[in-house]
Amino acid sequence: MENTNNLKKLDHKTLTKSFHRWFWGALTCFSQEHMQTFGYMASMLPILKKLYPKHEDQVKAIQAYTAFFNTNPMLGTVIVGITASMEQARANGKEIDGETINDMRAGLMGPIAGIGDSLIDGTLVPILLGISLGMSTGGSPLGAIFYIVSWVLIAYFGQRFLYFRGYRFGDQAVSFLVGKQGAAIRRAIGIVGSMVVGGVLASWVNVETSLKLYGANGKVFLNLQDKLNSIYPGLLTVVVTLFCWWLMTKRHVSAIWTMLILVVISLIGVLVGFFNPGLSY
Amino acid sequence: MTISWIQAGLLGLFACLCSNSCMAGQAVGNYTIGRPLVGGLICGLILGDLQLGIACGVAMQLVYIALVTPGGTVSADVRAISYIGIPLAMVAIASQGLNPLGGSAANLAKSVGTLVGTVGTVLYYSVATMNLVWQSFGWKDVHNGKLNKLTAVNFGWPWISHALFSFLPTMLLTYYGATAVTALRNALPMDGVAMKTLFTVGGMLPCVGIAILLRQIIGRTADFIPFLVGFTLAASLGLNLVSVTVVSLLFAVIMYEVEMSKGGGDHNKAVPEGPNDDDEEDI
Repeated sequence: MENTNNLKKLDHKTLTKSFHRWFWGALTCFSQEHMQTFGYMASMLPILKKLYPKHEDQVKAIQAYTAFFNTNPMLGTVIVGITASMEQARANGKEIDGETINDMRAGLMGPIAGIGDSLIDGTLVPILLGISLGMSTGGSPLGAIFYIVSWVLIAYFGQRFLYFRGYRFGDQAVSFLVGKQGAAIRRAIGIVGSMVVGGVLASWVNVETSLKLYGANGKVFLNLQDKLNSIYPGLLTVVVTLFCWWLMTKRHVSAIWTMLILVVISLIGVLVGFFNPGLSY
Repeated sequence: MTISWIQAGLLGLFACLCSNSCMAGQAVGNYTIGRPLVGGLICGLILGDLQLGIACGVAMQLVYIALVTPGGTVSADVRAISYIGIPLAMVAIASQGLNPLGGSAANLAKSVGTLVGTVGTVLYYSVATMNLVWQSFGWKDVHNGKLNKLTAVNFGWPWISHALFSFLPTMLLTYYGATAVTALRNALPMDGVAMKTLFTVGGMLPCVGIAILLRQIIGRTADFIPFLVGFTLAASLGLNLVSVTVVSLLFAVIMYEVEMSKGGGDHNKAVPEGPNDDDEEDI
């Protein structure tokens, strides 16, 4: 144990610098071919400079990070933290080479991308936006301000937590994301997400028909919208949404084509008098 | 309402900061400045009509409540939605003389913004393609051991991509587009089929956004139930969104307890429940 003093250890300042480079620069130099590779190299640079005083060692070490990398940039922060600890172990002569590091990165970036996209883009952001939309009624800036403050705080401190957790626990750090507890948390958050999204749809989207049938005496004998409302309020809105979901999920129609199909439906609906937004100058 | 060169330039600057592969970082740029709700606030401040800006932002945010970019593919571009679409929608609404808080104004905003946002994907792919030039510089620097230059490759050079494909298009389109949108008022009468269709589509577009989100969060048929419960709470019982969230927390706690008390405990699979396109057997 006499060489304990010679062991290289990354200090808090270097790690923070590396984290900030990922936080700000994960995707600044994005391309379809290399995606987040350059963001990754840029955030590993402070670490490599600290661990390897000799320039040629730095050049050798960075070769590991030239491999393709792409994942969910928020949750993926944990991977950058893990590589920081692996790089530190490699600099201390542990049996870790560039290939070990890349196997870990390649193995994690897929699952982390899947979990991150559904957890953050698919659940957390819509919940925050849904609540913020509710505060924006009447053109109030309160909702936007609430979203800015809450999201930026969650993103910054959340990612910072993930980075340092990755550094401290190595590849053990992801167990809380992919293990049993992780699955339970994701399901629980998924429930909140689904219900809030349902609430957003009901509060802000309203597809209505203007179809009315007139009797011989000129009185309305069928007001379809009122009839539908007495069955289930917002029925048409739900039907149109599920139709879009069905097109995209079951028929593999792209979002743009789904929108064009809605244009056709609207045009026909307007022509036959099913839809009428009731406009006038 | 008109847009001056200075206002158009400011919109162009925010377009650089916010797009996917943005210069203000993904979390702050793309997820904050780029979201239509925040874009509405900023456009409202730049164009001097905060109320109208927010109203347009809210309308557009509904369409793009889910902006999931699996594997870096986009179907719409936030810089185009928020900093070309919203300003043009604001001009259109102001020139049509619609009540900024009314449903018609919101539907017009959705149609204009979505059209622009979809066309804007060209900008996204242009920036990503031009970044290949800076990355080729980067590969040379790595090869020659000039590691310090990597910082410029990642943080500096991409500004040029954005100057060409974010700043300029946004500035020109908002400046000249505002005139075109105003001229549209005379070309298309409000009670004609074209405008009626435009407004009807605008009302339905958020359904696509919500459907994209559902594709993300629904794995099996039973997952529709919490979605429909949330819808019913708001549509039939009239609860607002914070109340719906509070009610949903109860179900979340129950779900968590149920999942944790399931036996076995060997569920250490690293399989995400995320987007699965081939889930025919589930539903």
